[in-house]
Amino acid sequence: MVDARRIAVTAVTAGLCLPLALFAIVLVPIPGLPAASGFWIPAGFYFPLTLWFGVWGALGGHIATFLAMGYFQGFTLHVWLDGAIGDFIAPITALLIFKLMGARPDLDQKKNRNAWLIAVPVASLVCGLWVHTVNLLFGVITPPFWWVGVTTYFIGDSLAVFIVGTPLLRSLTKFVKQSPMYIWRD
Amino acid sequence: MSKSKVKTFLAYLDSSNPLLRLHPFVKVLALLVFNLVAWLVEAPYPLLAYLLALVFLYPFLRVSMRNLIRALPYLLLVAQAVTLGYLVGSKIPGSVVYFSLPWGTYVSDRTLMFMASVMLRISCMVLGSTLVFISLRDVDLVYGFKSVGLPFAAAFTVNLSMRFSMLFMEDYARIRDAMVLKGAHLDSGGLVERARLTSLMGVPLMVLALKRMQDLSYVLELRGFPPKGKRTYVYEFVWRPVDAIAAAILLILLFSTVALRLTGFLSFPGWPFL
Repeated sequence: MVDARRIAVTAVTAGLCLPLALFAIVLVPIPGLPAASGFWIPAGFYFPLTLWFGVWGALGGHIATFLAMGYFQGFTLHVWLDGAIGDFIAPITALLIFKLMGARPDLDQKKNRNAWLIAVPVASLVCGLWVHTVNLLFGVITPPFWWVGVTTYFIGDSLAVFIVGTPLLRSLTKFVKQSPMYIWRD
Repeated sequence: MSKSKVKTFLAYLDSSNPLLRLHPFVKVLALLVFNLVAWLVEAPYPLLAYLLALVFLYPFLRVSMRNLIRALPYLLLVAQAVTLGYLVGSKIPGSVVYFSLPWGTYVSDRTLMFMASVMLRISCMVLGSTLVFISLRDVDLVYGFKSVGLPFAAAFTVNLSMRFSMLFMEDYARIRDAMVLKGAHLDSGGLVERARLTSLMGVPLMVLALKRMQDLSYVLELRGFPPKGKRTYVYEFVWRPVDAIAAAILLILLFSTVALRLTGFLSFPGWPFL
């Protein structure tokens, strides 16, 4: 059921991540890959927002990426399938890993920190596999460049999420717990 | 007397432009069809014909050809990525091999045809989408989503996202200015270092986001969201014969493309990716 709180989570996440995605593309562009960034700053925001507020945060990341990448690339089927769906899959994967490991996003216990250390690279790898397989299906890259793309995506995305997302989770989760939108209740 | 202009996602259009009066459903349908057709066609000559038809649509629909210039930087970026990938990293058999590389890849006559097809496909998607977005207002987006059966909440959320992005751009600039005034050097170092420094703005930005999220949820609840019962709308978009004709042409284009693709007419033998 869509209610006001969920709409607020998705709209604000998308609104926050949209300019950050534009900055990321301008700040750290990857030569040879259109509208891509070597340091995807919004991932550092929508990962924590998804871990705090669930699927609706990931949906915000999805909308932000589609609008931001579309601004540079054109709002095409390729952009939607590629970056936008990829940026929905990644935080959802991280959320699933947290659920499966019974971890919480406040990173105050070893179990929670381990979940974060596992979830980020796995989610980035899954997203990288998705993004470059779509690129391959559209013929934008050739098979030998698939591995290069997946590897660089895996490293770049993981770094961005660790550098930006870790301080956010550590410093703000206690504050976020007071919100009725927080999904983890003991 | 100068004509009044209407702001759309990508341009300012004369208020008399026929595209502005199209039903939002037709615009959303056009976005889907333009992209799907480009995706379904593999063969380079049909793709070239499709691209030329899209270019012709610009003057036909009284959209300035200058809008095509905005697509050029991106298309050049894609062109260099595709050229590099195909010239140094592909093995597509053809009747003539122009040159081979030490790591086992080679360039044949078919490689060049595939390169051309990919570029034409992406160009068709970009030109088609740009044409739609040039005529799309935020009202069209909300009513277009609604008319294709998506829930009102989905359209409303996308609309809210774009409005919030403007607010966060101001927040970002304000936080950045405050940090610079306190002595932060956000522009020093290499690209990754600059990105890392920029990420230091994350915590204040996220605090503002969380506060806005809370405020927005209260405001929406106070205004009775989600609406109960049958919702009424400010604007009314009436179906006109021209809308029905445009929708029919788009659907015929899509279904005929699917049919021709299934019969192999639009396929490219040996297409290595699908």
